[in-house]
Amino acid sequence: MTYKVTEEALAHGNVCTIFLDGEIDMDVVEKAKEVIFPHIDAGKEVHLNLSQVQYMDSSGISVLIESHQKALEKNTKVIIKDVSKSVLKVIMMAKLEQILNLE
Amino acid sequence: MNEVAQANHTEKKAFLVKSSSLKDVRTFCREVFAKLQIEQNLKDELVLAIAEAAQNIVKHAYKDDPNTKDIMVVKISCEDNKLQIAFYDRGTPVDPKKVKHREIDNIKPGGLGTFFIQEIMDAVEFKEGGKPWINHLVLTKKL
Repeated sequence: MTYKVTEEALAHGNVCTIFLDGEIDMDVVEKAKEVIFPHIDAGKEVHLNLSQVQYMDSSGISVLIESHQKALEKNTKVIIKDVSKSVLKVIMMAKLEQILNLE
Repeated sequence: MNEVAQANHTEKKAFLVKSSSLKDVRTFCREVFAKLQIEQNLKDELVLAIAEAAQNIVKHAYKDDPNTKDIMVVKISCEDNKLQIAFYDRGTPVDPKKVKHREIDNIKPGGLGTFFIQEIMDAVEFKEGGKPWINHLVLTKKL
């Protein structure tokens, strides 16, 4: 898994966009958390761009859930953007399409 | 139902029991399913189910031995349009009665791997390992 982070200051606060790339499985979840969680903890709105993630397993889905719940605790939000068809299928299998913020 | 009649075929491969092997497990599955001409959607689902089962071996059967040098074996067989995927490992014995996924409406991290396996496969069976193995999991799917 590789990633790129961009940040911009908007009127309603700081938005951090994280572009993840590759396959998200148990082997890389700790790295994904290290990339994502500090921005949520800092109270930023986090946009997770998953257009280049072609595979995600239950470990990756757990990171999405944990990120979402952590953001709610911090009064901010995580928006999942440009999710690939294959990953969307896994999100839907987990019945999370109405729970996570998908755009 | 796959429109291509599947020729009988069996392949197996051993992997070190560690999380970095999961990518290799997926690659092995994709290669075998390409030979079997399984269509993309089903292939993606099967790869997910198999990778989740392999992950369960790493995460649960070897929970107390994260630096193990043991191997696990994945065997994919296709006979009479029935796909069978067998897993063998020498980790902590699995109690099938304790293998269950979380309630799907109780949204929290974890507990989804077994749910995915059960959603995708037709049958999930824990069998006697037979020496030298301890655990022997068999997943089946009619093609």
